[in-house]
Amino acid sequence: MQPLERLVNLVALLLESRTPLTFEQIREKLAEAYAHGDVNSAKRMFERDKDVLRDIGVPIEVTATDVWDAEQGYAIVKDRYYLPEIRFTAEEITALAVAARSGGDTAAEDAVRKLLSGAEEGILAVIGAIAGPSDESTATLTAVGEAVASARRLMFGYRTASGGTAERTVDAFGLAVRGGHWYLVGFDHDRGEIRSFRLSRVSGSIRDVGEGNPPPEGFRAADHVVAGPWGVGEPQSLARVALAPSVAWWAIEGITGADVVETRADGWVVATIPWSPGESLAGWILSFGADAEALGPPELRDDVIRRLEALGA
Amino acid sequence: MPDPPRRTPAKTSERLRRMLVVVPYLIQHPGTAVAEAAGMFDLTEEELLDDLGLLFVSGLPPYGPGDLVDVDIQEGRIWISMAAYFSRPLRLTRSEALALFLRGTSLSATPGVPEAPALASALAKLADGLGPETLGELPDRVAAAATREPESLAILRDAVEGRERVRIEYHAASSAETSTREIDPEVVFSAIGHWYVAAWDAGADAERLFRVDRIRSTERTGERFSPRGLEGAGRSLYTPTERDVDVRLRLAPAARWVAEYYETVGDVQRDDGTLEIVVPAARLEWLERLALRLGRDLEIVDPPELRGRVRDLAAATLARYR
Repeated sequence: MQPLERLVNLVALLLESRTPLTFEQIREKLAEAYAHGDVNSAKRMFERDKDVLRDIGVPIEVTATDVWDAEQGYAIVKDRYYLPEIRFTAEEITALAVAARSGGDTAAEDAVRKLLSGAEEGILAVIGAIAGPSDESTATLTAVGEAVASARRLMFGYRTASGGTAERTVDAFGLAVRGGHWYLVGFDHDRGEIRSFRLSRVSGSIRDVGEGNPPPEGFRAADHVVAGPWGVGEPQSLARVALAPSVAWWAIEGITGADVVETRADGWVVATIPWSPGESLAGWILSFGADAEALGPPELRDDVIRRLEALGA
Repeated sequence: MPDPPRRTPAKTSERLRRMLVVVPYLIQHPGTAVAEAAGMFDLTEEELLDDLGLLFVSGLPPYGPGDLVDVDIQEGRIWISMAAYFSRPLRLTRSEALALFLRGTSLSATPGVPEAPALASALAKLADGLGPETLGELPDRVAAAATREPESLAILRDAVEGRERVRIEYHAASSAETSTREIDPEVVFSAIGHWYVAAWDAGADAERLFRVDRIRSTERTGERFSPRGLEGAGRSLYTPTERDVDVRLRLAPAARWVAEYYETVGDVQRDDGTLEIVVPAARLEWLERLALRLGRDLEIVDPPELRGRVRDLAAATLARYR
């Protein structure tokens, strides 16, 4: 008998049995599978089969079959084996298939295949990916997802903006995706506050170091990944910037809180842009070359001038 | 970690795993065509028929004719009966559920995805159906910050579908110039937060990649084109040209993000703490602007003329402040 046939029959037998079966009973019923050879080698074969089943996610439970605990019985608990019924429309299952394929993630594709049996029809059409793989690894995303799902504390190496790698200990509160990047948001034990960590900057393995504290009341992961030309976090005030017509239309687009104040006769646009003291906004303005000018506040304007002079202008 | 126990070769467990998924689908959808089922589960027709051939001799004790699974294949369609115990698939493992939920959330946060509404309801059903025993607290603790859909996306999708040449007004970051071009758009895709269209640029007579949010206007031309089979999702975001020169830069620690953001070759970590990178570039305008932004955190090694150009741009910019 082929190993595959033996395994299929074993799953069918355990799923259909109303009571746990001892190895002796299994051996008797699956005579062709385990009856040949001596008992010990048959038992070893059964143990290996059991490992294979557990490995692919078949929940085999071992229970005592009598009050003296003398013999063990094996059972597959139906509630833990069967996928609950989830009905999907063809559009919904197709959307899930597109998402799984876009991530280039085999675990997600396996999940969709399991869910297919609850779909009204199959996938609408054979579709390709509409998004390239993102820059964090599937292993990292899944490990962090696990930690958030069960509120764990993690330790990992993190590449900082200055190029070094620092060890971080974080209670995993939530996950947020912004601009195509995934961020872990959690309580950073080294800094003593809630921080966000871009998953593509996590280096090396992620260690689960135990139970973490739950997030505070009213926690929202999205609040902690706010960012823009002003840097990371909530902006503190407004700056005034003039932009040439060739860049203004796309530069301001998509910046939360940016507003056009006036359009000058020459086509230049004056806008107010959220700002926090620091170097970020000056760098953003300089990245437009002579197509942008910092109008105020004075400290921002002076900073831009100082940086231009330092370049030997 | 101790050595894993001896196992049946991977192939057997792999086949078993897929049988426990394919068979329930076929029981739930009687009369599915062999070709359709094979395509849906990413199998060849032979693999599928092999698996079904094995199922045919499986069943329950005492394995008499009335105890075996009944597999009926007629005119290329499949009917399975006598296997009620296989009528539902195995539960999702935790990592499968997490992976799908997170990839789905990520795609639903991408603006302009036509599948987004269906995806949102599918994810809600998934979270509801699997419950906290599989997904834990995850559905409540994941946030997707949506950004806006670029205006030209819909018309470009239509043009891709209808194989129609379009005229676009485009701001190219590489040259910092806006120009009007006629392009044959072949595929629209999203990568790390931005939408791109891969197209044949009729004026340049070459393949080009355009960022959709930098297209200011799109006009239909009514002219049809034959697709050349340009690559979409997963391709490199930089299209090399024959005019490319190697630009060699040294990045101070604070400027290291440049090596992550742009496609670079041959990164070398130097003893003084800087990172030396080589960026292939056909135009230098975007590098002048990058140099203005980075200031002292960037040292230009090659080509030397770039240094002079950065000084000139700094002087022209400073003139606005005088």
